[in-house]
Amino acid sequence: MSANTLLFELRQASKSYAGVRALIDARLDLVGGEAHGLIGENGAGKSTLIKLLAGLEQPDQMTTRLNGQDVDLSDGSAAYRLGFRFIHQELNIAPALSVAENLFINNPLPSLAGFLVDWATLRRRAIEALERLGVKHIDPQRRAASLSAGDAMLVKIASAFIGDDARDEPLIMVMDEPTAALNSAETSLLFDVIDRLRARGCALLYVTHRLDELFRIAQRVTVLRDGRVINCHAITDTNTSELIREMTGRATPAKADRGADFGAEPQPANTRLRVTDLRTDSISGASFEVKAGEIAGLAGLVGSGRSELLYALFGIDPLLEGFIELDGRALPPLTPARAWALGMAYVPEERRSQGLFLGDHVSRNIAMPHLDQLSRLKTFIVDSRANPLSRQLGEAVRLKINSLRQRVRQLSGGNQQKILFARAILAQPRLILLDEPTRGVDVGAKYDIYRLIRQLADDGASILMVSSELDELIALCDRILVMRGGRPAEELPAAGLTESQLLERCYDFA
Amino acid sequence: MKLFASAAETRARFSLTAFLRRYGTLVGFILIVLFFWIQRPQTFMTIPNWVNISRQMSILGVVAFAMTIVMVTGDFDLSVGAMASLVGIVAGTTFQSGGSVASAVTLGLLVGAVGGLLNGVLVAAVGISAFVATLGTLTVFRGLALYISGGASIYGRTIPAEFSSFGRGTIALGRIGETDLVLPNLTILAFITLVLVFIVLNFTIVGRRLYAIGGNMEAARFGGIRIRRLRLLSFVISGLGAAVAGLMLFSRLSTAHPTQGEGLMLQAIAAVFLGMTLSEESQPNVIGTLIGVLILGVLANGLTQMQIDTYIQQISTGVIIILAVTLSSLSQQQGHFGRWLRRLFRQSPADSS
Amino acid sequence: MRKLGILLILLLVSTAGIGLAQDAPTVAVMTPFLAQPGTQIMVENFEASAKAKGWDVNVIDTNEDIAALVSRMEDVALQAVDAIVINVDPTQIEPGLHAAADAGIPVFGLDSGAHPLLVTNVTSNGYTMAAETATYVVDRLNAAGEVIMFIFEPYPPVQKRGAIARAIFENTPDINILDAITPSFDNGPLEGARNAMEAVLLAHPEAGSISAVWAAWDDPALGALQAIEDAGRADEGIVIVGIDATEQARDAIARGSNFEATVAQDFAGMAQKVADLVEAHLGGAMISQVNHYVAANLVTQADLSG
Repeated sequence: MSANTLLFELRQASKSYAGVRALIDARLDLVGGEAHGLIGENGAGKSTLIKLLAGLEQPDQMTTRLNGQDVDLSDGSAAYRLGFRFIHQELNIAPALSVAENLFINNPLPSLAGFLVDWATLRRRAIEALERLGVKHIDPQRRAASLSAGDAMLVKIASAFIGDDARDEPLIMVMDEPTAALNSAETSLLFDVIDRLRARGCALLYVTHRLDELFRIAQRVTVLRDGRVINCHAITDTNTSELIREMTGRATPAKADRGADFGAEPQPANTRLRVTDLRTDSISGASFEVKAGEIAGLAGLVGSGRSELLYALFGIDPLLEGFIELDGRALPPLTPARAWALGMAYVPEERRSQGLFLGDHVSRNIAMPHLDQLSRLKTFIVDSRANPLSRQLGEAVRLKINSLRQRVRQLSGGNQQKILFARAILAQPRLILLDEPTRGVDVGAKYDIYRLIRQLADDGASILMVSSELDELIALCDRILVMRGGRPAEELPAAGLTESQLLERCYDFA
Repeated sequence: MKLFASAAETRARFSLTAFLRRYGTLVGFILIVLFFWIQRPQTFMTIPNWVNISRQMSILGVVAFAMTIVMVTGDFDLSVGAMASLVGIVAGTTFQSGGSVASAVTLGLLVGAVGGLLNGVLVAAVGISAFVATLGTLTVFRGLALYISGGASIYGRTIPAEFSSFGRGTIALGRIGETDLVLPNLTILAFITLVLVFIVLNFTIVGRRLYAIGGNMEAARFGGIRIRRLRLLSFVISGLGAAVAGLMLFSRLSTAHPTQGEGLMLQAIAAVFLGMTLSEESQPNVIGTLIGVLILGVLANGLTQMQIDTYIQQISTGVIIILAVTLSSLSQQQGHFGRWLRRLFRQSPADSS
Repeated sequence: MRKLGILLILLLVSTAGIGLAQDAPTVAVMTPFLAQPGTQIMVENFEASAKAKGWDVNVIDTNEDIAALVSRMEDVALQAVDAIVINVDPTQIEPGLHAAADAGIPVFGLDSGAHPLLVTNVTSNGYTMAAETATYVVDRLNAAGEVIMFIFEPYPPVQKRGAIARAIFENTPDINILDAITPSFDNGPLEGARNAMEAVLLAHPEAGSISAVWAAWDDPALGALQAIEDAGRADEGIVIVGIDATEQARDAIARGSNFEATVAQDFAGMAQKVADLVEAHLGGAMISQVNHYVAANLVTQADLSG
């Protein structure tokens, strides 16, 4: 098989969940040697389409052809046999095993005498597989647990090239938001690997929310909206604003996704949060202030202690030393329960594992930290208090749901994130801690969240937010604290800052 | 901006698979009742028999309802059976040394609460898994019961008549035709427990938070829920439930034997599991537990009436538990059996319009 | 329509099955101890006798769960069987006895113990059985030596055996009771007794420091025998006796091991006797005797070689 031939065709793919049509008559062509972008707001049907390809869900209807021949993907293992490889956001890496063993995770380990592991061959073939992708900096004997998110992803990709019989046929590699958890350096390494995969004749299906990435790596892009394929472009024939319009179904200001509308307000006066020499297991002597009505950003590399600083402030990690003052009052030792009660709010980084009760209702998820206030005699649940408030807050954060009793599991990532915001603002907090508030959120929801954050600050709340998207920090924040070595090492005014300047400060280049 | 998406899109079609997944256990229960009704028309569907079943299941019910609370948080308590035995022995020993009914009951409940607290501390504060911790306390409680009693049963004249008559007593409700309609005291006690647990789990903040802990412990902590305190509380409730059951058992049999409650633990867990199949999200819920308890009770009662070998009774009970859980997990994509069943129940073209 | 058909089939399959006509008298045999060999022999023989008399027999075992046995008795009482035969201490199941009495169903004890709510009880005389083996030990030791006892207090019939044996040993001045052990039931009394005996042997390592093992029933005697043989102390002349004459015990006695004697309860005879009494009662006869004793005999190697 050579590059630039039609490898895989998907036709008339439809799928409903409990009567809700998630995918309607979708079509998709994948060409060898091309990266094909798949974009759409959360809930547009991207995940459903991938699940159908992987055989994880049964389609209501679907025709698939590989190299012109009909194939059946409905069995979970069929896709793997036919050469599909899936790189999910949550990587299934076995942390206790070595990199080399993880590479062989879908294949029998090379053996001596039929039962002893041939460690030498294992190591050699692991190095070969990694080198095919141009990856030389990962030692195959390292524990997978010690890998950064980016390296873990590269290992996962390399595992596709480990098979006993090095495959002649090109693979179809499906990547679901691979860069969501990667920093800039890791991202550019991943893009190099993608270029190499294309050179080998692989077809890539690349799902992302970051449109700029598509213009860097993709040759074609398919736009999904409300379960339907809206359009399929050659990447050279389109531009960002057209794609946004097709995704959201509405005209959007050209730079809306970059937060250009959210210019900084005049500097506020009172000090809301004062932190003095804070120390925990991962924070080493943090001292800084946040003023009332201010949006302060926390920038930094992975491992610089950004999330851990929020943990310390919210009482999740115990303090070893230091003081926290809120509006001039020194705070007692904190627990999350006390932090909520004191008028702090927190939107965690991992919304599914740290934030949401996926099996529970929308309104219950919003109300959970505030049950004392919404109860009678501090004991009995009063839905007539919680529900109108949930509805009002849902509207405030522009939530799109079917009912307040809908299970959160069924919502898209953007709507799930908005639920956490609704929860955070329910008690009109004085200080809001945000960790990656727009991760894995579609363009439309991102826009809503930016507006909301600005609105909260304008109403007097102080906001301390962690983000890996530097453009987001620069556009939204009044001031940016650069984290290095477990503490805010310097402060930069956001106005006039460029991404590359900020990145340099994160790396502490002179 | 509108909060709710259009309702037309979300109207679900009736699907038999979904129906069975959700209500299969209930349908199964009704089928079991119908089956025994047909097989034993004279005796099964009679008031005295159902009074019987309710009294027989009351003790298991109290344990299972309390166990539901622990299982809501994602833990379970293996020590309840041994605790029930121990409390019986403690109360019996109190009688032997001349104690009153009030002191025996109080002491028994105290032992239950302290034992539950011990479980809670081990699980929530020390951080041992519930399985290991309660397996350990199970053995401790059993050993204590045997030690205190010297391995012998406590029965006979030392037990005050008003204590043993309670377990056999009933409240008359009137007559229907030729039969007296009576409610056994034990049934009433179980019903009160049911109502209390139902209120706690469904109408109180504590209940909502217990479900949150079971749903996502880390999110619960980040969301300001005092996890340790609530897990501790749930084990204390479970210990109290076991203590009440132990006193009920003692009262019903007028005998306290150091191992007489041991059968309760597995049955209680089985009942909660059966009940979980009746919840959309497979969460423990006390009404489901009630159905689970009734299934176990009706099976034992009906199969005995049909003179089925007791070993066959055990086999069929196990099969029914497995079947119920299988049905309720039909949506799991991975299972070959599930896929086969779904294909079997898939709508034929003529049916769908 | 297909799914309706499937449902219908499921319904039919589940409701088809056992629907017997009930003309012959039905007797329920209820015990929590069916796993015990003696109980098994009794139940089997009772079933044989009942079959000869043309009865239906319903055997109910609750696997050592007394509360469940009470529940099942209530069920059986509602089912209006003609008679109930129990093999369990009647004082522990009084609610069940009351349920039967209220339903007018006669209850017979089979090696259970006397109780006012029983028509009668058929049993061996536990006192005489224990006296047989205890005096055998006294005689073999020439009335002097160190004795280990295996006892079980919770079950009255077995408790009686221990009490009488203890009385006989204590009445013999030169016999000393070294220890009276209740074996753990966790892995069966045989394993429990074996473990206990191993500990005793370790505590008394000198030959001759243990003269005899008296067990209230055969399982612990067999466990003690295994422990003694495995410890290589079979040649010290330790005399082991049990009660009940199970098959394993007979084998051990027949091959000339330290296990020298047991007492054969006539389980078959008891079962036959209770069946005859049930028949008599159903026929209208008055039964006023509280306990019917069926004779038991000492079994030694001499009795088995013939």
